[in-house]
Amino acid sequence: MTEETIIGIDLGTTFSLVAHVDEAGAHVIRDERGDGRVPSVIGITPAAAGARPQVTIGWPAREHAIENARTTVYSVKRLIGKGWEDIRRDLPFLAYAVTPGPRDTLQVEIDGRRYTPEEVSATILRALRERAEQHLGRPVHKAVLTVPAYFDDAQRQATRTAGAAAGLEVVRIVNEPTAAALAYGIGLRARPGRAGPVAGVPQDRPEAGLPGRVALPTPTCPTTGGQFQAQTASGETVAVFDLGGGTFDVSILRLEDGVFQVLSTTGDTHLGGDDFDHALIQLVTDEVRDQFGVSISAPATKQALRSMAESVKIRLSEQHTAEIELDLGRERVYRRTITRGEFEQLIGPLVERTLGSCEQALRDARLTPADLAQVILVGGSTRIPLVRRRVGEFFGRPPYTALNPDEVVAIGAAIQAAILSGRQPDMLLLDVTPLSLGIETMGGAMGKLIVRNTTIPCRATEKFTTFVDGQTAIKFNVLQGERELAADCRSLAEFILDGVPPMPAGMPKIEVEFLIDANGILNVSAKELRSGKQAGIQIIPNHGLTRAEVQRITRESIEFAQADIDAHRRIDLRNQVEFDAHKTEQMLAKVGHLLEPAERERIERDIAALRKLAQETEDLDELHRALTAFGHGTLHLAELGIREALVQRDPAP
Amino acid sequence: MDSSTKTAPAKCRACHRPMGSPLFCDHCHSLYPSEGLNHFELFGFPPAFDIDPAALRQKYLQLSRGVHPDHHAASPESTDSLRLSAQLNEAHRVLLDPVLRAEYLLELFGGPAASADKGTLEGVLATALQLREDVCDAQATGDRPALDRCAARVRQLHEELLAGIGELARQLPGDPQVRRRLRATLNSIKYYQKLLGEL
Repeated sequence: MTEETIIGIDLGTTFSLVAHVDEAGAHVIRDERGDGRVPSVIGITPAAAGARPQVTIGWPAREHAIENARTTVYSVKRLIGKGWEDIRRDLPFLAYAVTPGPRDTLQVEIDGRRYTPEEVSATILRALRERAEQHLGRPVHKAVLTVPAYFDDAQRQATRTAGAAAGLEVVRIVNEPTAAALAYGIGLRARPGRAGPVAGVPQDRPEAGLPGRVALPTPTCPTTGGQFQAQTASGETVAVFDLGGGTFDVSILRLEDGVFQVLSTTGDTHLGGDDFDHALIQLVTDEVRDQFGVSISAPATKQALRSMAESVKIRLSEQHTAEIELDLGRERVYRRTITRGEFEQLIGPLVERTLGSCEQALRDARLTPADLAQVILVGGSTRIPLVRRRVGEFFGRPPYTALNPDEVVAIGAAIQAAILSGRQPDMLLLDVTPLSLGIETMGGAMGKLIVRNTTIPCRATEKFTTFVDGQTAIKFNVLQGERELAADCRSLAEFILDGVPPMPAGMPKIEVEFLIDANGILNVSAKELRSGKQAGIQIIPNHGLTRAEVQRITRESIEFAQADIDAHRRIDLRNQVEFDAHKTEQMLAKVGHLLEPAERERIERDIAALRKLAQETEDLDELHRALTAFGHGTLHLAELGIREALVQRDPAP
Repeated sequence: MDSSTKTAPAKCRACHRPMGSPLFCDHCHSLYPSEGLNHFELFGFPPAFDIDPAALRQKYLQLSRGVHPDHHAASPESTDSLRLSAQLNEAHRVLLDPVLRAEYLLELFGGPAASADKGTLEGVLATALQLREDVCDAQATGDRPALDRCAARVRQLHEELLAGIGELARQLPGDPQVRRRLRATLNSIKYYQKLLGEL
């Protein structure tokens, strides 16, 4: 295999998934239980003095979240690239400790040790990478990562850093709703001529004229049973409504003959299933205080309440009432029944906020609900009946729910990986920047250079000069946001142009280029126009990590670095086992008749035993010894094989 | 101004096959950074106000397929691809929008630029001010019908100016008087655009 595999990863607030594209299509890589989801939860167990902490990831960490409340980190996506002010309202709901870090970053504090959200995310990414490596049987170094479309520059950069810290080159950052549309659109193209009744899809669309060429085999999506709908080749406009565990996006896209063009996107990077849980938690907390005079502050109780709120929310999607029971200790038990109606009343305002965003997205795309061919639901929180109902009412049509809302984003990421590998030359993904970019002007206003929903890559230039004779440095502040005042926008970084030649005020002319790449990440460069030389530019980010910090977390993973080495060694050893076993079987078939029956039987037993050991053992040294012993035990057979081959090629006279 | 002089090099320098676009080779996908090309040249269109939207879209998608970073991810040309793609997106944005297109054409034909000539059409400032007051009043009192009437009026005035811009831009390069008149119309329409954005 000459081409390096690029995996697609959906790094979610609650669950993360990894997918890849092979000859059979795009599919999610599952665990032995058939589940593609890895809970985005890590448990950090303090080790003995001097040693490094033990880390559990995914289901085991989630299952022990209550007893290890203080040492279990979840929903870290809500912290990544954010500052202290951004997450204040989340703090009462978090069972683990969060402290402010340098440059308005956040850190998770466990047993006196501090971890950046990037490090925590990297730990999850590493687990996904290992899952992919075990499945593919070879090392993986490259990935496409998805982020909420409404993530700003700091959040995107932080996500990329997390990838690097997990040993992954992040070849592209794709917006989650766009990835979902990719999976949906590919499904459309992959099944020309197959029409079946699917909710919300008009049945009278002509199918003639569909491109006969299939870009990719149908993505495997278990809930759909492959029932993607064929649509017209002239294209259609769709809305993707993506409400996940912690973030919300809505994107309007035009899909047309392999082109996926985002017309507008908007959202809220702090609105999702977690907030619905918080609404329930708040209700219970208030009632417990009123009935028992107890305030819930113990981390274990907080965590128990959180788990309970999540399961109540999920149950209320299936049934009309749910029981809540919380043991408060000392024979005090809080009990109540909650109806779906009560729950809907609690989350109603949050759902209405998502519809406000839908209105904005349509306005920005200069469209009305009637212009849309489909509304696609993505993200686990779109299983909530109220969400489906209100989205359906807003857009005036039943939303499209045939895609598995948990898996579709990872599938899209894998498809994007295939595009980047050069396997889909006819496909074209045109995304936009979600937020306007500008600089702070005199008087503290936001001077926009690039407006939101501009197709990326895009660039803008701005000329700067000096105000004082002999001034050799110019400072400016780069902002992201839609508000008029700089103070209300997100300040990405302070830039300092230095080495400006000392000249009278206003004489130097420095052109600064702002280039937003296909990842939605800003690149800045500067040129002194008189000399044509690149000007020196210093960037002081207001969020995120310095280069030294990135290097540190890349170097030292939270868990033992040994685990990484072991994972690779395990893969290599298992491949070697399979290779040797297969070769021996071939040899047996060819020259086995020359062996004593007893020896032949022993070798057959050895093959089976070695394969079994490779599957079962975690002791890599033992496996290595067994492989060596197997080599010795088949030496005689190998010699026979070589002799036979020589005889056949060069028959004795 | 002659756009035909700055079209594609006849043959690709890398694979020596004829080139269909000034930006990239259809055969070996080599990229040709094109700092010097204006937006019309980039698309191979004559510098004129009237553009067929279908042709613009088709050409945009064709060129995007050739230069987009997704298709040059692993190549040493990825920086060229990024810049070319940004340039193409900007050109498309300008050519798609009639006001930006007229503004750009006026600049190509020597201006005057907005910074040099801030004049507006007679009466526009007063009308826009009056409309703004009406909008504010209607919003303050929650008078929906009045607000709708204001919106309709702004839209109508905007349409009228847009038609004027088209008429003048079609005469470009034109005499200095035509260009000054176009400048004033472009300056004027900004007031209505702002109002529309707020409604």
